[in-house]
Amino acid sequence: MTRWFIIALISLAVLLLQTTLIPFVAVGTIVPDLILIWVVVLGIARGQITASTVGFVLGLGLDLLAGDDGMLGLSSLTKTVAGFMAGYTFNENKTMQNLSSAQFPLTVAVVSLVHNLLYFVIFLQGTDISWNDAVLRHGIPATAYTVLVSLIPMFIMARRNRS
Amino acid sequence: MLKRVYDIIVLFKEYVLLAVYLLISILLLAVNTTDQARVIRGHVLTAAGVVQDVFGFIPNYFALRQQNRILREQNLTLSDEVNRLREAALENIRLRRLVGLREQPAFGYVSAQVVGSQVQALRNTATINAGTEDGVLVGMPVVTDQGLAGRIVSTGSRYAIAQLLYHKDLRVSARIQRSRVNGIIRWTGGSELQFAHVPKTLDVVEGDVVITSEFSSLFPSGIRIGIVTSTRQLPGELFQAITVHPSVDFDRLEEVFVAKVVPDSSRVALERRTND
Repeated sequence: MTRWFIIALISLAVLLLQTTLIPFVAVGTIVPDLILIWVVVLGIARGQITASTVGFVLGLGLDLLAGDDGMLGLSSLTKTVAGFMAGYTFNENKTMQNLSSAQFPLTVAVVSLVHNLLYFVIFLQGTDISWNDAVLRHGIPATAYTVLVSLIPMFIMARRNRS
Repeated sequence: MLKRVYDIIVLFKEYVLLAVYLLISILLLAVNTTDQARVIRGHVLTAAGVVQDVFGFIPNYFALRQQNRILREQNLTLSDEVNRLREAALENIRLRRLVGLREQPAFGYVSAQVVGSQVQALRNTATINAGTEDGVLVGMPVVTDQGLAGRIVSTGSRYAIAQLLYHKDLRVSARIQRSRVNGIIRWTGGSELQFAHVPKTLDVVEGDVVITSEFSSLFPSGIRIGIVTSTRQLPGELFQAITVHPSVDFDRLEEVFVAKVVPDSSRVALERRTND
């Protein structure tokens, strides 16, 4: 129960960070996806159920915060899939090891790429914007930026692991 | 039988849960434009706006010095321009009276600060600290002293969300100020806008100023949008490929004004009826 409460608190903080502070570090229109990083952390540390549940709730929150402009259900869908994918790397005995090694950013990269591809498949329905163009201009740069940011928690975990 | 179903659900609980979440998400995607969703979003928007307001000082702090310099330069240029425009306005009034043209309706503005921004793929929006309590309504244009920034797409009591020109769904009927050539302004990514649907034979050159046109049912005419940066004649295409640099600096969007004018519903309805 306490663990779920802590996860809920951190999730709320991540959602607030993503919607308030992260736009300030945007490179053009590209921002890192903190929610995705958090969902991958949960996938590695807690498994598919926790990661997909948190992914669904935070995705829904993100959709609601986008206002009437957003597509309600799109982020919840893609973040759920991301959490479920990340959960495949769950190994109770190797949690710290997986979070503090190169496996973590690698997982973030794969999950983020699939997440962005899926996002654009749905998002660009009925528009005249080319899917390739959107993926090249936004999907891949956003994945790269997210992976870069995911190195921060990896180094923190590695340091904690050593000490 | 029930026990067996229960056992199967427990055994594959991850997949069952995934299916449930995906189903809910798909249902939400399907019922996106309902009023219920709008109300929930309005409440969430107000709550989020309060939090974003707290962090609103950050861009001000870092950009203040540069902004001061730009404003001083702009002030000088504008003072000169105001003098010339005063003369032109007086002349315009005289000429309009002479030929019996209708005056353009004047509308008020609500000033607001940008307290947050949403950057999601090809959808860029800004949260501003003015809402329905200040008279801001969905559909109202958002401008800055530099030109058109976007339009209001969602309102809470004290906050509103503006869809910016850097948004894949926003199309603006526009025209070249010099040659009166009409087209559509749209954004498909990057830092430039596209001025589309302009036949190759029409007169558009680099440096032309693009403004909103009377054809727009969303925006009043004459609002500056940007400057043409390149024109290309692509072989095999009917239209020119024209790029436009927006007048508004979206990286430094802090103060905006909401023009208190909503799309003319009778005109929109008539146009829709005719198109149907």
